[in-house]
Amino acid sequence: MTQTDHVLESLSAYALGSLDEDEARQVAEHVSGCHICRAELKVFQQITGQLLLAVPDALPPAELKPRLMERIQRLSPKRAPSAGRLVPWRLLPVGAVAGLLLIVALAVSNLLMWQRINNQEFLAGPLGMRAIALNNTDAAPGASGFVIISVDGQNGVLVVDELPPLDEQHEYQLWLVDNDHNTSGAVFNVDENGYRGVRIVAPESLLMYSAVRITLEPAGGSTSPTGVQVLDGSLFNP
Amino acid sequence: MMKDSKPDDVTLIRRIAQAQADAISELYDRYKRLVFSIAFAVVGDRAVAEEVTLDVFVQVWRKAGSYLPERGKVSTWLIAITRNHAIDVLRWQNSHPEADGVVWDEISLPDGQGTHELENGMEFSAERERVRNAVSHLPEDQRQAVAMAYFKGYTQSQIAHVLKQPLGTIKTRIRLAMQKLRKLLDEDQQM
Repeated sequence: MTQTDHVLESLSAYALGSLDEDEARQVAEHVSGCHICRAELKVFQQITGQLLLAVPDALPPAELKPRLMERIQRLSPKRAPSAGRLVPWRLLPVGAVAGLLLIVALAVSNLLMWQRINNQEFLAGPLGMRAIALNNTDAAPGASGFVIISVDGQNGVLVVDELPPLDEQHEYQLWLVDNDHNTSGAVFNVDENGYRGVRIVAPESLLMYSAVRITLEPAGGSTSPTGVQVLDGSLFNP
Repeated sequence: MMKDSKPDDVTLIRRIAQAQADAISELYDRYKRLVFSIAFAVVGDRAVAEEVTLDVFVQVWRKAGSYLPERGKVSTWLIAITRNHAIDVLRWQNSHPEADGVVWDEISLPDGQGTHELENGMEFSAERERVRNAVSHLPEDQRQAVAMAYFKGYTQSQIAHVLKQPLGTIKTRIRLAMQKLRKLLDEDQQM
């Protein structure tokens, strides 16, 4: 590649974001395949990143902080409105995974009462846990499920209901998703009602994952998703 | 003597991801000046800059779980969010700020006058001083071109149109400005 084939003279403007659309696209295409220009671009990007430090100081008004905290409070997880009586959190054991499973088992019996749980809904009881409703797919249109995660992300439970029971050669598998990488969190089958509650086992905090998906796999599970997806959900707040 | 036990920025972000309101409060205290300064430099209006600042910290609250330390510092992440959102706001408002009153007018003050108050001992305070010093050494026309490009989101063609200058002149000014900044910041780093 000759010197004229490089886009060195355009890189500084590209780093500033000041190229016209066509030129920016040409530079981006070239940079993706040229390590020389890519290295130069990185230098200019570091400079542009520093430029913002040089702006004149300006202090926000003192009342801006209370306005922020008010917005944060409005966004914070709230208890789901009760169309029926929910789990009496305060009567249940604190902290233990077994206690968590008990909570889940009781909560499932009230699942149909959570009429406002559509895509995602969060609640925060005195145990500080998050419950995220999962979405079903065409492969299991009647299925429902949710994931409960402790606030520190160290414990998690999956509960599913009305998933089609499977034969002995197949099981469902829960995947924890992070940047398109899937980590197995549980392998399980369901009872005759399609129900199962199972502990999620992960190599790191559940807070590090962005989503979950459940797929149909051979018995014993797979190293990566191979079968049809039946449930999924995002682990982030909306 | 007990060590200062204030959490670092990454720890704060992790706590924010766990919906701890005191963590976002602390982060705001640390970075309110930086975020608001950038927002104001871009949008040029205090009321709008306040809204941008609120939006930035709300976005941090919502997206803290997606922050990855290996991709860069928290301050870098905040700066990027602020600039991008402020420029988006400018575009939504269909605003075309005047070429005058460019954001770096104060940078040209001799002896680096202006407020240099350290912000809670942020590690980038010294870096901020270095960059300001480098920018102050740019010729005014180069400083103006870079500021219009980076702080107002103008393309080179738009800058040429607004300033009534040939496109080639603007391209040269931006290229020379960035090369000079690179040289000055490299030299300063080695001192």
